[in-house]
Parts: sequence; C-alpha cells; structure tokens
Amino acid sequence: MTSTRVSPAAAVLTPGREVGVAVIGSGFAGLGLAIRLRQQGETDFLVLERGDDVGGTWRDNTYPGAACDVQSHLYSFSFAPNPDWPRTYSGQPEIQAYLRSTAERFGVYPHCVFGADVTDARWDDAARRWRITTTAGELSARVLVSAAGALADPVLPDIPGLGSFAGTVMHSARWNADHDLTGEQVAVIGTGASAIQIVPAIQPRVVGLAVYQRTPPWVIPRGDRPVRPAARRTYRRFPAVQRAVRGALYASREVLVVGLAKQRRFLKPVGKLARAHLDGQVRDLQLRAALTPDYTIGCKRILISNDYYPAVSAPNAELVTAGIAEVRPHSIVTRDGVERPTDTIVLATGFATTDLPIAHRITGRAGHTLAEAWAGGMVTNRGTAVAGFPNLFLLVGPNVGVGHTSMVYMIESQLNYVLDALATMDAEGLAVLETTPQAQADYRQLIADRSQGTVWLAGGCGSWYLDEHGHNTTLWPDFTFRFRALTRRLDRENYTGTPADAEVAA
Amino acid sequence: MSAPVQRRTVAVDAGDGALLHTTVEGSDAAPVTLVLAHGWTLSQAAWDDVATELATDVAAGELRLVRYDQRGHGRSSWGETEPVSIDLLGEDLVQVLDRCAPTGPVVLGGHSMGGMTIMCLAANHESLIGSRVRGVALVDTSAGDVHRPPRTRRGRLQARLQPGLLAAAIARASLVERLRRLAPPASPAHRKVVRGLLYGADATDAMVLRGAEIMHATPVRVFATFYPALGEHDKRQGLAALTRVPVEVLVGEEDKLTPVRHSRQLAQVLPDAVLHVEPRCGHMLPQERPGLVTAALRRLLSAAAGDEAVAGGGVTTPP
Repeated sequence: MTSTRVSPAAAVLTPGREVGVAVIGSGFAGLGLAIRLRQQGETDFLVLERGDDVGGTWRDNTYPGAACDVQSHLYSFSFAPNPDWPRTYSGQPEIQAYLRSTAERFGVYPHCVFGADVTDARWDDAARRWRITTTAGELSARVLVSAAGALADPVLPDIPGLGSFAGTVMHSARWNADHDLTGEQVAVIGTGASAIQIVPAIQPRVVGLAVYQRTPPWVIPRGDRPVRPAARRTYRRFPAVQRAVRGALYASREVLVVGLAKQRRFLKPVGKLARAHLDGQVRDLQLRAALTPDYTIGCKRILISNDYYPAVSAPNAELVTAGIAEVRPHSIVTRDGVERPTDTIVLATGFATTDLPIAHRITGRAGHTLAEAWAGGMVTNRGTAVAGFPNLFLLVGPNVGVGHTSMVYMIESQLNYVLDALATMDAEGLAVLETTPQAQADYRQLIADRSQGTVWLAGGCGSWYLDEHGHNTTLWPDFTFRFRALTRRLDRENYTGTPADAEVAA
Repeated sequence: MSAPVQRRTVAVDAGDGALLHTTVEGSDAAPVTLVLAHGWTLSQAAWDDVATELATDVAAGELRLVRYDQRGHGRSSWGETEPVSIDLLGEDLVQVLDRCAPTGPVVLGGHSMGGMTIMCLAANHESLIGSRVRGVALVDTSAGDVHRPPRTRRGRLQARLQPGLLAAAIARASLVERLRRLAPPASPAHRKVVRGLLYGADATDAMVLRGAEIMHATPVRVFATFYPALGEHDKRQGLAALTRVPVEVLVGEEDKLTPVRHSRQLAQVLPDAVLHVEPRCGHMLPQERPGLVTAALRRLLSAAAGDEAVAGGGVTTPP
C-alpha cells in the first residue's frame, strides 16, 4: 500500500565512504535520531536501512487490521506533532504515512541508504572507527548507533512438519497482500497483539478460521473514534492544545505503572474491566473459560480490541486450545488427535525480543560479538551503551521496552542521551567513548531491584518480556519519567574517553 | 498417534443473512452422515455427550458427524426473515445438508425443537426422505399442540398476557439480560428451576449445571421470539413421508415440556416407528441418557449404511 509511492532521492554508498555517525534502521528510533541530527545542522551521518523505505516495524507490519495500541497524539514525535491524525488510534497506513512525511519534511531521505542490510560491524581499534559491511556496500563510521529495534525479526515457531505444509505460510510481519484469503480455511497461530488485530480483519472473508491459542491475552475495550475536524483545526492553530492532550494521555497511562510495578492491587480495576469486556462479548461459558487468562493482568501485554472476541465467537471461527502436535501438507493436527484441513497458516508468533538478532553482527574491541558478550544475559549502561563496544549506542535495546505507554517516549529519552554523548565527544575532543563494566553491573542491579515484585515477574506468566533465565531484559520496570531523568544527560563519570590526539595502544 | 479425526468449522449460509455455526467431524469418505439438531434455547453443545459416545465411530471412519447451532442460538447469527418459524428452521437444515452432506445417506437426529425442525423438513421436502434421509430420531419432541389451550382462569389470563410479556422482554432485552446475570447457573436457585422444568429424577447436578450454562448463553431474544413459533408448529398432518424410513421416537417419562402424549401421538402417526419411554428422565434425554439416544442413532445409522452397501452392491453386481 505504501510502496506504490516513490521515495525521495536517497543516498548511495560509494567505496571508502566515511561518516561521523552510522545509524542502523529507520524506524521511529533511527528516524528520530536522524531528525534530531538534522535539527542540529549535522549532515555527516548515514541511515542504513535494509528495506526500501523508512518506517521499520510500521513499514513491515502490513497485515490486515495492523494498528497501534497507543493513541496517536502520544505515539508520535514530540518534535513533529501531527494535528491531522484522522482517528484517536491510528492504523499502520496512517502511521507509516506520518513517518514518511516526517522524514521528508526534516530532510532525512538524502541520508538514507536503502537495501543496506548490515551484515557485519567491527570496531577497528587502530583506526578508532567502526568498519561496517552492508548488502549495499561498505563504510566506516566514528560512531555506530543501532536502531534495529526489538520487533524487527520474526520468530518462526518450531512446529514439526511446518516445512512440509503445501499451502501458504506467512508471518504477520511478512504479510503477502497478493495472497487472497477469501474462501480459504485459515489457521492463525498465536493470540498476541498481532493476532488479535488480524483475526477480526480476516474472519469475515475466510470460510473457516481456527485460532490456535497457547495462553489467552487480557483484552480491554479500545476507545477508538474519529478526530473531529474542529479538533484538528484547533490542534493546528494552537499546538499547545495538542501538547496538553498528549500530556494528559501520557499521565493517564503512566498511572498504570503504579499497578504494574509498585502495588499489584491497583491492577484489580483493570482486571475487572477486562473481565466485564469478555463477559459482555462472549456468552458461551466454555469459550469464555478458554479465553480467560489465569495470570494477573499486565503480566503479558494488555491488549485492546472491541472486535477480537466477537470474531473468535463468529459462526465460522473456532478457538483451538489443544496444542499443535504437527503440521501436515494440508492440515494441522492437535495433541487431542483432531486434524483440521488448512489452506493458509498465519504465524502471529511475534519477534525475537530477548535475543536481539543485530547483536550477532556487531563485534567489539576484544573480537567477540555483542551476542557473545551477552551470553550470560543482556547487560548495558542505561540500555544504551555496552562495555567493550566503544562508540556504540543502542536505541530500543535491552530494558527500554514498555507495554503500557508510547515507545516513542522512551526513544526520545534515549535520543537525548546519545546526542549528549556525541556533544560530549565533540566538546572534549574524544575519539573514543566507552562505558565501564562497573557502570553496567550497577545498572543491571538497578533493573533487577526495580523488577522485583513487578507483575511481569510475579504475575504468574511467561512472556516475551523475560529471557530464558526468567530475567526481565526487555522492559523498563519503573515510571518512564524516571528513565527520562536517567538519560537526560550523559553520565560522564561512567565512561572512559580517549582524546583524538592520544597515542593508539599498540 | 492414532489416525486423527478430521474437524471443520463451517458457517452455513442460510440464504437470508443467517450464518449457521456448524461443526463437521470425520472423514468425507464415511459411509453415512449423522446430522443433529438441538432444541429451543440450547446449542449444539447439548449433543456433546452423544458426540462423545459416537467418537469411536467417527474415528473409525464409519460416520461423519454434523452438529450445528440453530439460527440465533449458540454462535449462529439471525437472518432477515421475520417472524421466525419452525418451518424456517427446516429450510436451514436443508442448507446444512446441502453444504455439509451433499451426497450419501443421512440420518437426522432432533431434540425437542430440533425434532420439530426435522418434521418441517420432512413435510416441506418430502422427496428428500428415503432418497437422502434414511433414518430419523425424534427425541423429546412433538408434532404440534405444544401450548395447550388453558383450562383454568389463571391459565387463560396468563395466555392473554403472554404476547405483551414477550414483546416487553424483547424490547427491554438488555434489562432482562442484566437481571439474568444476577442469578447465573452457579446459583442454586437457578439450577433448582432448571432441574424442576427440564430434568428427571436421575439427573446429576453436573448435568443440570451444564444444561443451565448452555441456556444461560442464549440471548433473551431467542427465548421470546421462538416461543410463539413453537406454539404454531403443527405437522400432525404432514409426516407421511417419514413412514418411508426407520424412525425412533424417544421421550423421558417425566418430560414436562413435551410430555409423553406428544411422543405417543408421533408413534400413532408413524405406526412403524419405535417408541421408547424412559423412566426417571425429563426433557433432556441427550444429556440424561446419552447411551440410550446413541444406541437408537446407531441402529438407524447401521440400517442406513447397510442400505447403501446393498444399493452399492446392486450397481456393481450384474443382474
């Protein structure tokens, strides 16, 4: 839908290209950094994008019904407000259009290299630069920023026989719009945030829909409505009004953190709301029981939808709770010995979140990859810097994720931090800036302490928030304004800097 | 793993906007198909116990089992046809047959309003009986005269007030639903009413709870709009076609909704039908005596499958 539009002229990698800052990815994070750099008058940077346009997760997730769970007034850049959001909650096409137009408006496109999948990035200690190999050519950079994100690489489930399936298999993040589901028997595997948007979008046109559920999500009503033209005019004429709306939305969502991370009893009213939503929409008591989670609300991401429950209880739908035993060429067999004929399998099975795939491609000072350095768990200073990986900054890295509010807020916090680091390097004339192992250990302890007693650890569920050791490695476990405070300025005391004129160690 | 059982969920288009939530189990190559129609304010779940008994037949490839929710009930939607009638449900059943069992011999089983549904199909589509439909089980049902003219003054008063009450219930459905939620099936008072109305002496608490749960899921609109339709149902003169196929009539001795006289009347109209009156049971035989109901269905199924084997033999064997 968006690829039909022609992107403005982009950059091309010429051999031996050297830049000040190389940014991996052009989603909200990479784009945000590029815009902030442009706003500072900086031009010595490139954005390396494996796709053919900006947008990241919002470019890739084109499945039917794709939309954001956070109101658009909040889920957008504070420095690029959009008074013209058509609805309170936007769909993927509107968000992608916003990202494109914003990138265009701030002159980011000339800095983007498309089709540039970063296959390898190595710290060259002698040159004090990152040597980066991409599918579009090579370059070197003084500073490398990975804005590759956590919801970038689809996870394919390990189901016996999936490879032998003769019909179409597609992951929600790799939707094939040319494949017509009309008249098909369709299986949707998974009941997470993507699935509950896909299921109602495709249910009316398929012949039969089987939703394979492992753990039911908690679902609350979606207060989505059109934004009245008068309101849009007001936002355009008085940007302060839109800022106030944004602030109110932020505050109302932040209240949830009290229940999620501090006192779980404050989640009770939210749980009641979700129960009432389910009871009001699903009359069949057996189906209702199958859709009722057995863990505390908030432990897994709280989903919002008004049409998921009606869709799974539609005349042509079936919720399957028996686990999948195997996939056959034309069917799926569950562990209770039932075989359901299937034409298309939709894998709404999420993303690699606790093992960031980009970490396998970034090699630090000691010659091992970020993934190897993180073998015992992902450790960072402020979710952004890693000891042994000089001049590297991660956006949307470990423990920066949020489930209750806008990810853009967290990204903007990180942008402040990275830009202050760059400014510090310039001001002090540093060629190398690297965080200390001690700072990392301290930060890990901070995350562990604040995660104690949160619903994500104590709510009685497994989720993509936790790694295989049960540690919270994805979520920021506190109020988001506290993360903003932590990242307002570079914590210079936690970094060692090497001046540009210092001798290179032999 | 032993050979898995095929299952499909199908929304059968009834033609007027109603989509009928249908579950098809078993191989398309099975020699015979059984289609089960449930009663007023119930859903296909009312046949769960019978389906469990038949699971081995389905797994063995001997039977294809089709269950569906009548329009408005369970997960099926309403159509545009107003007012609803049992004849309309008979047309729905024809659509289910066309879509889910287009070929091969079929046995129909109907409980209560589901039995009336089959009678309507038999009366309005006589040609199907004997050709496609090779056997019929009528459980706790009636050919007509369900709401007898009241004999007491109080009864007559009730009868006069009824249309107004039903209309009010539909108009204020959301209020009625809220009141219903105050006494869910889990409450003893709710179960006591259900037991008294529908179940016989032998029914367990678990049976009553399950039945109450199924009915609790049914919207008040279904109670109110199908109630007059049940009263208008009269096929006492229209069942001639059913004399062409084996029929089993079953009823609980303590059935209060369609008392035994209704089944005796059926047995009179269908002299070859087998009548079984089960003691200590009420109106919910598929739940109260799933073994008994299944045995009757199996007799009809083996007769139907046997017919087919004979007919098939006739084709391949030279005269």
